[in-house]
Amino acid sequence: MGGAMIIEVAQQIFNGIVIGSVYVLIALGLTVIFGIFGIAHFAHGSVAMFGGYLTFYLTQRFGLSLFPGMAIAMPIGALLGILIERLAYRPVRDDPHINAFIIALGLTMLIEGADLLLFGADQVVIPSSYRSVINIAGLAMVELRIYVVLTTCALIAAMTVLLSSTRTGKAVRAVAQNRSAAILMGVDVEWVSMVVFAISSALGIAAGALIGALFAVAPGVGEGLVVKGFAVLILGGLGSIPGAIVGGIVLGVSETLAAGFISSAYKDGIAFLVMILVLLFRPEGLLGKR
Amino acid sequence: MTKSNIAIAVGACVLGIVLLALPSILTVPYFLHLTILSLILVIVAQGQNLVQGYTGYVSIAQGGFMGIGAYCSALLSVKSGLPVWLSLPLAPIVCSILALAVGYPTLRVKGHYFAIVTLAYNMVIFIVLLNFTSLTGGEAGIPNIPCMENLRLPWGEISFTTRTGYYYLVLVVAAAVTIFCALVVHSRIGRVMIAIRQNEALAEAVGVATWRFKLFSFVASASLAGLAGALYAHFTRFINPTPFGVDQSLNAILAVILGGSGTLAGPVVGAFTVIFLPEYLRIAETYRLIAYGLILVLTTIFMPRGIVRIASQIARWRPKVSTRQ
Repeated sequence: MGGAMIIEVAQQIFNGIVIGSVYVLIALGLTVIFGIFGIAHFAHGSVAMFGGYLTFYLTQRFGLSLFPGMAIAMPIGALLGILIERLAYRPVRDDPHINAFIIALGLTMLIEGADLLLFGADQVVIPSSYRSVINIAGLAMVELRIYVVLTTCALIAAMTVLLSSTRTGKAVRAVAQNRSAAILMGVDVEWVSMVVFAISSALGIAAGALIGALFAVAPGVGEGLVVKGFAVLILGGLGSIPGAIVGGIVLGVSETLAAGFISSAYKDGIAFLVMILVLLFRPEGLLGKR
Repeated sequence: MTKSNIAIAVGACVLGIVLLALPSILTVPYFLHLTILSLILVIVAQGQNLVQGYTGYVSIAQGGFMGIGAYCSALLSVKSGLPVWLSLPLAPIVCSILALAVGYPTLRVKGHYFAIVTLAYNMVIFIVLLNFTSLTGGEAGIPNIPCMENLRLPWGEISFTTRTGYYYLVLVVAAAVTIFCALVVHSRIGRVMIAIRQNEALAEAVGVATWRFKLFSFVASASLAGLAGALYAHFTRFINPTPFGVDQSLNAILAVILGGSGTLAGPVVGAFTVIFLPEYLRIAETYRLIAYGLILVLTTIFMPRGIVRIASQIARWRPKVSTRQ
């Protein structure tokens, strides 16, 4: 009895890590943009959904499998990110932040609408062949779910290397720390803005593709996704990359545990309640310093 | 009285006459239907304007509060058999109590945090409306919501089951709400709200208990949304959770931004634009989102001060006459 319970909990935690790693990808994109521009990029969820649909389209149209499809979709997403920065956010760069947020709301509608127009209103699941189940000590792990976690780890590693060891990464960090000082030191802020939006959108696209393979892509999913992304940011502290990773896993695990042991209908509500509580009682985030 | 004041007074009179005569002018019943929906959105947008336009806090919970108001009044009249004239005013009261409870802790956070938390509130409300089936009926909603009882007046009886009757009711409420907002904005409360928007730290430093005013504007906006939701429920006579999602909150924000945030006429112009523009453009549901999004982005970039201010700028514009000989 006790053993079965432990396995059940472990199973839910594993599922939580899988979902949490998708949240991490979403949150990383949001946190980098927030850290550098102070923009709450609300349209990020619909960008991710665009990625899910695009990957589905690529797999259907060209017969690609999941990961090659995702690899092609990511640069397209990066391009979309650059467009968003250039056309929508840059004109309001010097306006009050509320304007950028309203732009983000407008972009959300715009991209959701474009998704509907390009891909239709159907719910789609990206087909993948990784369906075999690996059993370790009673823990059932679907191959795909393991690959999702590994992909997330690889993307986090790639991003960390990019930010810590390249010249561009140095410039990004400089702008995040002190924008005007970075400009005075000759950092090309326009280039940094482009790079940041490209990376963040590519990560969002990857998250959308993984969601599409794990569950499904459907209109309206993006909104819930981006709010969860913000929930992660709030758990981990706005602008913090380690915070986004920890927060994503915490949110994913608490959500699956809530779904498994409390109520699956209210699992999203529970996630939002956790976020509201953290925000009200520890607004600097779980990892933040007081 | 200055020239511009006379112009405003004349304009208001003309608008009043047009609004009163509207049911006889509009021959297509559908347009009257849309006008009623616009007036309901005016009520929501005036509240949104108090909290967003004047106080500078973007609340994305108006749709949720509308839902609470709608379900509150509908359930009280359907399940408890309460007369609609009693259940309707209870909706904003319930909303304001709720807003008071959640608003106090929420208003400690600022800017983006505040927007995101209120958005989460809206999502929680939506999830509860959808899943608390024993009370709300879930996706299937509540059918057969009664309309207001007829009103007996010395000169006859008014029925609200017709569109015309309901139109006048909503018109009176929307006008009263606009007047209420005008009084608030022009009082000390309104000036403090603007001060908070412009520089909250400074307002606090000179000894203003800003939290009271922030709480007031948040609660006022929530209760107005609740009132609008109740009016919506008794107008459509059927509700389910769909119209009370985040989209509805975005509509309220869109109305405020488009019309002109921080002006009294802005939410009115904005609400009518939001409801009528897609009908006028005759665009399908798919393009509606794109058009709305595009309009929101373009408005924020190119005319962040809204239609009303642009219009008054155009009205005041005089060709520059060089005084130099």
